[in-house]
Amino acid sequence: MALKGLDIFKLTPKTNCKDCGNPTCMAFAMKVASGALPIEKCPHMSAEALSTLSEATAPPMKSYKVGDLALGGETVLSRHEKTLVSKTLYAVQVCDCMDGAKQDEVLGKIPAVDYERIGERMYVEMVYVRHSSDKAPADFAALVAKAKALGRPLVLSCTDVEAMKAGVEAAAGCDVIVNGATPDNYADMSAVAAGAKALLGVRADSLEALHDVVEKLEAAGNKNLILDVGEASVKDAYANAVQIRRTALKDGDRTFGYPSIVNVANLSGGDAHLEAALLSLFTCKYGSIVVCSEMTYAKALPLYGLRQNIFTDPQKPMKVTPGIYPINGADESSPCCLTVDFALTYFLVSGEIERSKMPVNLLITDASGMSVLTAWAAGKFSSSSIKKFFDEYDINNKIKNRALIIPGKVAVMKGEIQDKLPEWSVIVGTTEAVQLVKYLRDEEWKKNYVEKSAASAAGETAAEPAPAPKKVIPAPPIVVSGPYMIDDKPVTYKGHDPNAQTFVTIGERIHCISPAIRKAMDTYDEAPILKRAAEQIAAGATYLDVNIGPAESNGPELMTWAVQLLQQNFNNVPLALDTANMAAIEAGIKVYNRANGKPIVNSADAGSRIGYIDLAAANDAIVIALCSADGIAKDNEERMMHCHNMLERGLHLGMQADDLWFDPLFLVIKGMQDKQMDVLNAIRAFSEEGLKSTGGLSNNSNGMPKHIRPIMDAAMVGMAMTMGLTSAIVNPCDQRLMETIKSCDIIKNHNLYADSYLEI
Amino acid sequence: MPFAKKPQVFSAKINELTLGTGDKAATLGGQNVFNLYTFDAPIANRPKIGIDVSDDPEQPSEGLKAFYAGCNTLAERAKKAAELPEADFVCIRFDLADPNGENKSIEDCVADAKAVAEAVDKPVVVAGCKNSEKDADLFGKISEALQGKNILVLSAKEENYKGVAAGAGMAYGQKVGAESAVDINLAKQLNVLITQMGVNGENVAMNVGSAAAGYGFEYVVSTLERVKAAALSQNDSTLQMPIITPVGVETWGVKEATASESDAPEWGAQEERGIDMEVETAAACLAYGSDAVILKHPVSIQTTARLVAALM
Repeated sequence: MALKGLDIFKLTPKTNCKDCGNPTCMAFAMKVASGALPIEKCPHMSAEALSTLSEATAPPMKSYKVGDLALGGETVLSRHEKTLVSKTLYAVQVCDCMDGAKQDEVLGKIPAVDYERIGERMYVEMVYVRHSSDKAPADFAALVAKAKALGRPLVLSCTDVEAMKAGVEAAAGCDVIVNGATPDNYADMSAVAAGAKALLGVRADSLEALHDVVEKLEAAGNKNLILDVGEASVKDAYANAVQIRRTALKDGDRTFGYPSIVNVANLSGGDAHLEAALLSLFTCKYGSIVVCSEMTYAKALPLYGLRQNIFTDPQKPMKVTPGIYPINGADESSPCCLTVDFALTYFLVSGEIERSKMPVNLLITDASGMSVLTAWAAGKFSSSSIKKFFDEYDINNKIKNRALIIPGKVAVMKGEIQDKLPEWSVIVGTTEAVQLVKYLRDEEWKKNYVEKSAASAAGETAAEPAPAPKKVIPAPPIVVSGPYMIDDKPVTYKGHDPNAQTFVTIGERIHCISPAIRKAMDTYDEAPILKRAAEQIAAGATYLDVNIGPAESNGPELMTWAVQLLQQNFNNVPLALDTANMAAIEAGIKVYNRANGKPIVNSADAGSRIGYIDLAAANDAIVIALCSADGIAKDNEERMMHCHNMLERGLHLGMQADDLWFDPLFLVIKGMQDKQMDVLNAIRAFSEEGLKSTGGLSNNSNGMPKHIRPIMDAAMVGMAMTMGLTSAIVNPCDQRLMETIKSCDIIKNHNLYADSYLEI
Repeated sequence: MPFAKKPQVFSAKINELTLGTGDKAATLGGQNVFNLYTFDAPIANRPKIGIDVSDDPEQPSEGLKAFYAGCNTLAERAKKAAELPEADFVCIRFDLADPNGENKSIEDCVADAKAVAEAVDKPVVVAGCKNSEKDADLFGKISEALQGKNILVLSAKEENYKGVAAGAGMAYGQKVGAESAVDINLAKQLNVLITQMGVNGENVAMNVGSAAAGYGFEYVVSTLERVKAAALSQNDSTLQMPIITPVGVETWGVKEATASESDAPEWGAQEERGIDMEVETAAACLAYGSDAVILKHPVSIQTTARLVAALM
């Protein structure tokens, strides 16, 4: 296994001498692990440590490029453990034992399958050129020359060294794999491959013999290999493919740490459907290059779809390319349905539109692969992003129909979209995709369609169930009329010492994704917001999070109002300002009272939201720093890399390390159970470096029954606090959770015990 | 260092589940290694293949129409299907009983099921109409009518497991399928609930979800792999039920399999596309953990049987 940053750290002198130019040995180790620095930058590493490192840092499986195509480099056997990195490549076999006409026919059919599916080109990546022992080297060379004309990398399969030389010569200028080393010819064949700067394919009659010849090749200095699983039988080929990969990745024997070639053309005995089944089988386990006799659309359509599914990063959503997708023969006179680029959303929506049999242009906008509501809350699906999409794709000129149906879940955006696209009639569609069939078939949308003349611009909208949000209501003045009461008891915020060691809870209940809060924020209605604030404060929240959503049209005004409303009513309760609208955060901080602690900017990440660190630095605020860059970090190596990048940026901008609160990103147990310990270990790593941490802890129990969630959240916070978690974004009204936090603070000796510790 | 084989043999094993009776009975599961890994340890019961027959006479391809030509009833089609030597069991499906469709009566369905049981000598699996409420009733009545035939009902879901487990499972001793949609936590939960009702876990099979290749199949892959890993490496007895995956109903519904040749001329013959979609999806299910697959097309069944035979 590749060495983790923490393992490298253990080998460093741990003196934090800074001779390498890094503030700590840990920071240095992380950079070495990510490949950003060579280990030699540290002048104090011992000789043993250096040799341990070079041995241990070698990856379990080599990775190569053939032309632009990636091979190998896998670290896991199953896609749910970690992403599979190099997709299976397909080749079609042509043999010099075929007559010329047959060769031409086989080669001629190769370009036939070539199409795009979710942004990926699907075609036969390679040509497998086979030499038959009863043919002359010149026959092979002639065939190679013909195959070369297709302009794809060639796999030359031939165990006769002289014929291989002729083939390699004929292939000059083309990427090749020299597949022909055997226990008998490996030295000579290796020389041919080395001369051509090509990967050498190795085959043998048994895994033992194969292992033996690979060891000999490695000893002779050739580590550019690919292993042929053989053609003795389907059963043997499968056994070999699985065992080679498993030996390398699970048992740690790097002698088998190479990609594989599986030739099913000769295993399927001329049965095209069996060949299809074998293509599928070896795509699943574990063919790097799979060779067949012919690629037809019948075989390709399921196969390439399967491959795309298997090699998807399980932690990154599948995205569809933004653009216009005409369905059911739609043209410029058909209405438009708008949605996000999350692949599942696309498949659902396009499927339902297809079922409606109505011509519709499906417009897919770039929303970073998030679902509709998530993208909206994150500011990735907004009237600005939609306007930008319309401009970039020139929708106004490409489509003449002016009906634009938006997802019912984001009805709140209607007014803003209408303002930005005045020539369109923006119509609020259904909240679920399944309702689309009836909605489109019965043309229900026409009821809300408003004819737009070129002259009439914004404003006018038809009466429809989802009201257009006001946009010019000015924020009302804040009036504080005595303390807020719950059950006749006044709710007061008791204050917070920013230097206290006790755990900081950030109450999450003022969030625009809640319909009640969304509505209150739309209308500057104080009551629901004050109610949730009071409940959280009464339950013991340290900070309150204020999520106002993307708030594109009135962000600064809304945030200013919310900050003043909450702080003036509740003794300057400290707040976390949470929105994709940076101007709103700045405006909120301007009126923020720091008596009980700095404001928190929620949140930065190491990707597109890195600017939030600058925002926090410029405004002397705390920032929640999500250790990810547009997608969940694949492991702690990556989490720590993001952590250090953000830490360095913050320090460079003059921030205190204490003002960056690192968020490992808590993951859903139902779905990512096997990643929970990674999250906890990341917290420990933050803590070991003296860094503060926080995060949306209750995300772990998403989707669990109501009565289970407090139990799971309490266990999670207990374990996370053991690891050193210093804060969490939680629901403070969860009594079990809050009691657990208070108890843990006692155990951690952050608060002196008294029998009534739960009540204070 | 010479190569040393390290077979991955577990102390846990997948439950053996037998469907039907007599010499045509089919046994699923029993292995103590990952699916198809005969190189780790011998696998006593090869994966099984069922043939899917609907009470709806409509067929998705010309080849299937030809295969069932001359058959006028569900029983006749089931008989024809069962005659296919490569089919290990027959899965009858009551699409016409859907209350939102033709709403065929339960009495008629029971009569059909009886006729099928008399016409075929292979094990019978009964799939419902997808309406949870009606299915619970339907499975109970058919289980009663087919007592002693050792049928499997597909399936008990979160919404109707109580009725299905009580009727088919406990009152009439039939095998119960537990269905969840690519959700490993729900798959486990359903098994727990069904066994807590009093059904012996050894009489339960799982359908943990299915999809056509290319259509979110990655969720199927991970669910199958994680169920098998928990069953074998963690010895989780609540997940050691064999997995039976209906493939044909998924694959014959996607456009790659159904688009006509005039709609997609460059794609070639529809029959071939439908078969390959079914065959490739089935092969992937078997590779990742299904102990049985249910297919529609006789050529798909023959091909998958060849694949399985070649691997055993």
